[in-house]
Amino acid sequence: MSDLLELPWSEARGQVSPREYVAACLRAVEAHDGALHAFLHVNQEAGEGTLPIALKDNIVTTGMPTTCASQILRDFVSPFDATVVTRLRARGAAIVGKANLDEFAMGSSTENSAFGVTRNPWDLDRVAGGSSGGSAAAVAARMVPVALGSETGGSVRQPAAFCGVVGLKPTYGRVSRRGLVAFASGLDQIGIVTKTTRDCAEVLRIIAGHDPLDSTSSPERVDDYAADLARGVQGLRFGVVTEAVERLEGEVRANFDAAVQVLRGGGAIVERVSIPSIVYAIAIYYVVANAEASANLSRFDGIRYGHRSERARTLDEVYFDSRGEGLGPEVKRRIMLGTFALSSGYYDAYYGRAQAVRAKLRHDFARAFERFDYLITPTTPEAPFRIGEKADDPLAMYLSDIFTAPANLVGIPAIAVPSGFDSAGLPLSLQIMGRHFAERAIFRAAAFFEGETQFWKALPRILAARGANRA
Amino acid sequence: MNIDRDEARRVAELAHLEFDDAGLDRMASEMTKILTYIDQLREADVEALGDHDVTVTPLRDDEPRPSLDRDPVAHNAPAWRDGLFVVPKVIGGE
Repeated sequence: MSDLLELPWSEARGQVSPREYVAACLRAVEAHDGALHAFLHVNQEAGEGTLPIALKDNIVTTGMPTTCASQILRDFVSPFDATVVTRLRARGAAIVGKANLDEFAMGSSTENSAFGVTRNPWDLDRVAGGSSGGSAAAVAARMVPVALGSETGGSVRQPAAFCGVVGLKPTYGRVSRRGLVAFASGLDQIGIVTKTTRDCAEVLRIIAGHDPLDSTSSPERVDDYAADLARGVQGLRFGVVTEAVERLEGEVRANFDAAVQVLRGGGAIVERVSIPSIVYAIAIYYVVANAEASANLSRFDGIRYGHRSERARTLDEVYFDSRGEGLGPEVKRRIMLGTFALSSGYYDAYYGRAQAVRAKLRHDFARAFERFDYLITPTTPEAPFRIGEKADDPLAMYLSDIFTAPANLVGIPAIAVPSGFDSAGLPLSLQIMGRHFAERAIFRAAAFFEGETQFWKALPRILAARGANRA
Repeated sequence: MNIDRDEARRVAELAHLEFDDAGLDRMASEMTKILTYIDQLREADVEALGDHDVTVTPLRDDEPRPSLDRDPVAHNAPAWRDGLFVVPKVIGGE
């Protein structure tokens, strides 16, 4: 039955009973997750479903834990389901498990999980990316056909790129955030990891739409996102972001240039476009996201839920000791930076300034979209790095989101689609960004690229060995 | 932007986070490095764009609706008695 899990969800679901589909996933988790650690919780009671799915463990679920990979929520069980979970369950989804992440989705490698790193299925010594590293590794290793992650600055697209799978960040407001544990509410968006563009488009149709319980969710009509998958790219206009590709070198550059040739081969018009303010994206991001995080994470106070320090005797000690014991170093660092940026005397210089430059970024993107249907870059500036390589250098880690964070700051949809491999056999990825609510259009372009290249069919090393045995 | 130990302590108190002196020094040095990177925002050319393109989030009507059941809420509470969260005495202690 392992072949079943190598098929896209849209093909596999018609070939097997819902009970057997879920059982096959649970067997695959049993076989591979010891080496990968993509899951924080495996739901042995998943039962049956036409859509076996893994959920990043910051999306709340009744009946099983939601830890956000943090000691402070180690024993937390949500009293309600996230809106996306309600919608998925109504459409026959079975939750196979909860996927690992950087604590509170803060990180780019899953190394910040309080419960251990997720390994890359293509090379176990390398990171799966983050923060949705568990979601991406679970799909890449064919343990589940679909996983949900979340994005604040690239946390679905970057791990999807590192694991050689498709990752979508929808338009801000396209998918309800109700039940997604908040990191930076003005940037957060639930995203989707799949093997193929079609699977991704079909899952988006299930989870998208307005939710009365999330005022920032959009009333914009939910589209038939798979409608244009076969239409090709003839005559469509792609802008290559000059400031992004200028700094590229070596194999990532060569891979990107090859991707451009694939698009041109389909009749697309591909030209350079300058977005001067994009060079400030990471700086803006780490002010805005951390400022929002410092406010959002104040809810973890040891009073209503989560860890309370045993040694706390006064109310202040409950706050300080519970947070001190329960939150990890990267989370504390970001709360500190955010608190600083909002504090008296620094607000204008940091938060105010970041919002002003963010407005400029939005303006520059809007101008670029007057000339182009899409903007493209590599998804990441490099192939997956080694576990531990950036662990002691927060800034170097932050810079791995340099091509993905702009879409979150601007609010536009963006997709990561596999674009091949470097000479070490590690996955590389093409990012396609579109206008607000143009998900249908970005699926069209991604499907063309995927159809021409077929990189999604390649099996990661952890499975290729098994495939070789089978042959 | 240079953050010293005293500044890190001030921010930690605002954030309800506790560090020992070594932790504060490490945090101060990491914050300095990151804020120095962020300081490039000062050089950005932010021409007059008029008002920032603010979109106002529409608010739903403030109508009563069912709240969470108490049982699962109590289950998650670190300390719970008679339908209430228990906290250390706030007034008149020590």
